[in-house]
Amino acid sequence: MFGLPGTTVLVLFGFPIFWIIYTIIFLIVSRKWGKVEKGGKK
Amino acid sequence: MSPVVTIFLVVYYAIVVGIGFWAVKKGAAKNLEGYLLGGRQIGPLVTAMTLQATSMSGYMFLGAGSAGYTTGYWAIWYASGDIGGGVVNLSIIGRRMRKLSKIMGSLTSIEYLENRYPAAATRLIAGLLSVFFLFFYVLAQFIGGGKGMALVTGLPYWVALLIAVGIIILYTYLGGYFAVAWTDFFQSAVMIIGVVWIFSAALHYLGGFTAVNNAFAKIDPTYLSIWGKGLGYKGQWGQVAGAVLIFSVGYMGWPHVVTRHMAMKDPKTARTAGLYSTIWNLFFVTSPYIVGILAIVILPNLKDPELAIFSVAGKLLPPAVTGIVMAAIMAAIMSTADSILLQVGTISSRDIYQRFFNRNANDKQMVMVSRLLILSIGIIGYIVALLRPPGVFAIVVFTTSVLGSAFLPAYVCAVWWKKANTPGAITSMLGGAIVAFVWKVAAIDSATAIHPMFAGLVVSIVLMIVVSLLTQKSSPVPKHILKAMEEAESLGDIPKDMVNMAEFALNAEAEEIKKLDQE
Repeated sequence: MFGLPGTTVLVLFGFPIFWIIYTIIFLIVSRKWGKVEKGGKK
Repeated sequence: MSPVVTIFLVVYYAIVVGIGFWAVKKGAAKNLEGYLLGGRQIGPLVTAMTLQATSMSGYMFLGAGSAGYTTGYWAIWYASGDIGGGVVNLSIIGRRMRKLSKIMGSLTSIEYLENRYPAAATRLIAGLLSVFFLFFYVLAQFIGGGKGMALVTGLPYWVALLIAVGIIILYTYLGGYFAVAWTDFFQSAVMIIGVVWIFSAALHYLGGFTAVNNAFAKIDPTYLSIWGKGLGYKGQWGQVAGAVLIFSVGYMGWPHVVTRHMAMKDPKTARTAGLYSTIWNLFFVTSPYIVGILAIVILPNLKDPELAIFSVAGKLLPPAVTGIVMAAIMAAIMSTADSILLQVGTISSRDIYQRFFNRNANDKQMVMVSRLLILSIGIIGYIVALLRPPGVFAIVVFTTSVLGSAFLPAYVCAVWWKKANTPGAITSMLGGAIVAFVWKVAAIDSATAIHPMFAGLVVSIVLMIVVSLLTQKSSPVPKHILKAMEEAESLGDIPKDMVNMAEFALNAEAEEIKKLDQE
């Protein structure tokens, strides 16, 4: 792809995809942070 | 210099200085918490952008371009970790550190360490390590700023340096953290516009991504390999681990970066800021490395690889756009330099002067002392930068390795591991810094193919765990710290009786009394 070896493509595009997934998981896991703090309760 | 480029630079400088005066008007310097942490009122977008702009120094336009130009696609390993640096930092320690620092009443990232790992030695060692290594870091930014300005404007180096450094000192002196955070926000926008523009122009000039890679295959096919030109890094997983770690988890060990958590408006700010960080990084981080790689085809006989991005901009872009790219480069340099300058001034004033020499200094005096130290350190930095010590950008990677190795376990365990105690933290900081330093200076990295960051980090993590466990009986973590950690772990507002807990303010006094008792 793009005239690059497979391993280079994997690193070049694989890591950004990994970080996008990491961010989505973080947003899901932390979804209660805002709601709880608005009420000021634990 | 083209008049259009001059106009861009003048407008850019006017805006950052204007933000400094605006910060003063907003009352940013009315008390010490306001001056050092912007009154802990920074929202998610500005938090994300100051975190990213501070982390991405002039290295991204000089060192990253050079890495791409000299090693080909090997340089992408560094970008691979860097894309996640912001969200890793915010997700792992952001919310808890914001909460814990407020409970402990900590105003600096070094004071925070002493409050969590109570001992004068914690603060002294952490303070001195930070000031020493961060000074080299800020020096590299000053020199990068001076060199870049001189190249584009044609001004003598000392004049260009004076302008660049003078402006950084002015707005940092005036508005403290609030001014730094908001100028970083503005600078992050300039940086991304500049880098996307030069990246698009270079790809367009070469006929697209596939065409340029086909051209590389004809020059030297090993440029295309992830193992670097001549496959020089093939199988060197220790180097790969260091390259990925340094700018991903490494940020959690940088005192000037983790301060951003302490200044957030509230703990939940970390969540949205994490999202913004990733979006910004996806567009920004890889581009300078790729432009450096593309420069191999565009400018095959470049004498100074550090000027790859400057030179590509000069060759491909019209003057108006060169002005934007130049402003972006200055933005990357200045947004890091201001944060480090503030951090070094802060550590020197709060963590060394007030902690060890003048406990009774009031807020007004401390703002003045912080400002004077920022001014003095800036002037000393200017004088040393005039001498232009060689290999400065190599120092940046070296310095970040040492700082990351020294402080990462201390900051992460501060919020996550209740058994992390003072002896564990002190030995971890010292061990990590010494190993990373010696690893590079004694060229052990070349002999072993293991990156200094990786070696230093392994040692500091092992020391933190082993020493903490071995000294649990002799140095248990005090009850008030465990209570604060439990509160930091939970969601929700901090109970009123726990905000700026008295026990933490009394730490230093308690320690002295303990010493007197022992005597």
